[in-house]
Amino acid sequence: MIWVSWRQSRSQAIACLGVLVALAVYAILLGTSMRTAFSHDGLGGCLARSHGTSCPAAVQAFTNKFGSAVNIAFWSVLLIAPGLLGVLIGAPLIARELEYGTWRLAWSQTVPRTRWLAVKLALVTGGLIVLGAAMTAVITWYRAPMDRLTGHFLHNIYDFEGLVLTAYILCAFGFAVLAGLLVRRSIPAMIVAFVPWLAIRLVVEFLLRPNFQAPLTFQQSCTPGQCSGGVGLGFLPPVTGHIGDWVLSQPGGQLANTYLYQPADRFWTFQFIEAGLFVALTVAALGAAIWLLHRRPA
Amino acid sequence: MTQGDGGGRPPALRTVGLGRRYGHVWGLRDCTLTVPDGAVVGLVGPNGAGKTTLLQMIIGLLQPTEGHLEVFGDTSPANSAEALARVGYVAQDHPLYHDFSVADMFHLGRAMNPSWDQAVATARMNALGIPLKRKVKTLSGGQQAQVSLAMALAKRAPLLALDEPVSSLDPIARLDFMREVMAAAADTGVTVVIASHVVSELERLCDWLIVLTGGRVQLAGPADDLLAAHRLLTVPRATREAELPGPAVHRADSDRHSTVLVRTGPARLAAQERPDWGVEPVGFEQLVLAYLQRPAGTSADDPAQAAARPEPTIKAVTR
Amino acid sequence: MFRFRLDGTSGVPPYLQLVHQVRQSLLLGYLREGDRLPTVKDVAGDLAINPNTVVKAYRQLEHEGLAGGRPGQGTFITGTLSPATPDTHNTLRASLEKWLRDADAAGLDDEAVTALIAVARNDMRKEKV
Repeated sequence: MIWVSWRQSRSQAIACLGVLVALAVYAILLGTSMRTAFSHDGLGGCLARSHGTSCPAAVQAFTNKFGSAVNIAFWSVLLIAPGLLGVLIGAPLIARELEYGTWRLAWSQTVPRTRWLAVKLALVTGGLIVLGAAMTAVITWYRAPMDRLTGHFLHNIYDFEGLVLTAYILCAFGFAVLAGLLVRRSIPAMIVAFVPWLAIRLVVEFLLRPNFQAPLTFQQSCTPGQCSGGVGLGFLPPVTGHIGDWVLSQPGGQLANTYLYQPADRFWTFQFIEAGLFVALTVAALGAAIWLLHRRPA
Repeated sequence: MTQGDGGGRPPALRTVGLGRRYGHVWGLRDCTLTVPDGAVVGLVGPNGAGKTTLLQMIIGLLQPTEGHLEVFGDTSPANSAEALARVGYVAQDHPLYHDFSVADMFHLGRAMNPSWDQAVATARMNALGIPLKRKVKTLSGGQQAQVSLAMALAKRAPLLALDEPVSSLDPIARLDFMREVMAAAADTGVTVVIASHVVSELERLCDWLIVLTGGRVQLAGPADDLLAAHRLLTVPRATREAELPGPAVHRADSDRHSTVLVRTGPARLAAQERPDWGVEPVGFEQLVLAYLQRPAGTSADDPAQAAARPEPTIKAVTR
Repeated sequence: MFRFRLDGTSGVPPYLQLVHQVRQSLLLGYLREGDRLPTVKDVAGDLAINPNTVVKAYRQLEHEGLAGGRPGQGTFITGTLSPATPDTHNTLRASLEKWLRDADAAGLDDEAVTALIAVARNDMRKEKV
């Protein structure tokens, strides 16, 4: 049954490997280029001495060069990529058998259908975890120089480092497998799974994540009305003075001097919370799929 | 190889009041029959009559809603390994994984069936000239059907279920397919159930018959016995039902005469036969078509079922 | 190997067709005592017919004394259908031809001739019983 699962997933596995290789190639090219520029501009020493405050021009030049529009497009694609990957792999798992009628072959062999599904899910889930981890590792490696300047708590960086990338893929996969069983056709199932996944993704990222733990307050030592600094990637290092802090908002308006933020050392806690949430959704979806398959007449 | 005479072997199939409901609709109801080991059964009925429902319950893919089902004495629930091991199945349109090679399909069979006999599968492919390395999608329809059949036979299950196996094939491929099935039946004594709505081909294939319409069994029993128990009578138009030597299955009235298919026996016929009656035996196809044309909802509690009811001499099978 | 054939439209039960083919071949001399008939599997796989039909035909032939099974070896022709001697054959043939000419002159067509023969045969049989 392991061989059967592998053989049926073989072409998908090769495609994913292709995606990983393409990502790695891109990463290596950009990553080495970044590292060269980083050492060339002496940013390492600047960070060590002053957290980047003593060389604002160099920091600006570096971030401009490597934070360009191309990269932003890349990141936008990468936002939905884990979802797409998950649904592309998950939706056909059951739906394809129902669509093409091969369930009459697959489920009449001497393997009960729930065991058939369980083995397939175990194998593919394992593969997706490995894929997610590999993609995370590749991205983390290539971004390392930039992360030294920005930290990795900010939106477009947090999503790809740590644990959440894998969790996003798994959740989309789980939704798609369940959708495939209910909708019985691959492509509609992909849509039925992707939309809620994206909705949850956005809600978690923008509404829940900032509040996983109560934000801290930072008082900037300047008189209101005469302060500089603000929220976002354009302000490096962040107003808190500590690289890696995630400045959330400036209550009181743009000229006020109080900020809400999440300290950098909470990164991994947040990663665990968010990944845990998406993994729980995955488990629920896959569990429902197995249970429904067991109960379905034919 | 010969039809089981009940010599100690459990019947291939035994059902008592078997039924399956989908929501509010009964796909099959009140199905009671006993099919002996080694029979080749024709399961006939229009689309939607319940053939697929009955087959899927026998195969172990569908759980009955009511009644009792035994395959070679086994009563394991649907979707359990024990139930699935009893039957080799070729579904309608012989589904296969099209990007697999023939060898891959057999590998799947081996991986998913403990009883798999690889030698059977490869021998069949060699005999038919189908290379194992070929991808399924490059095979003709007839060859794909043969691959499906090989998989079902290599499973070495005691019962082979074929659901409209030749409906999409050209005549030569059809013939080749059924040749292989009959040779396998002769060789291994496997019990075969063929669901079909093409009646004309079943006569020479089947020695047992089940006619289903509207989810109910209209006729069931050994083909020879059923043919011997019916006569086609040509009688005067005015003849009433009560004067006939048995229940009228089908009646066609002309101006002066009627042709009536009756279920009867030689004694009763001899007693009631009139000189102005014509009496002929009925052909297989005629018999089946007559029962297929009975209105849906005809009571299953009909003398035609008598041959199908389990006889008291068959031992009760312990669960 | 002896090859059977099946006529799906003749209305004659398949097993009887097989029996008739053996009898006819014996009469014509194409099958002789000691010849081996094909196995049940061979016939079933050649004609795509139920193996039990073949078994039934072979049993009928055994019942008529024309064939017999040897365990492990197959079914063999054990008897002959002795047609009349060539002389009797010729005499009967001559009187038959005369009779057919008479029937033709009387206006009977092929079907009427066959029906007449069948009726006469049946009556003869009833008399014998």
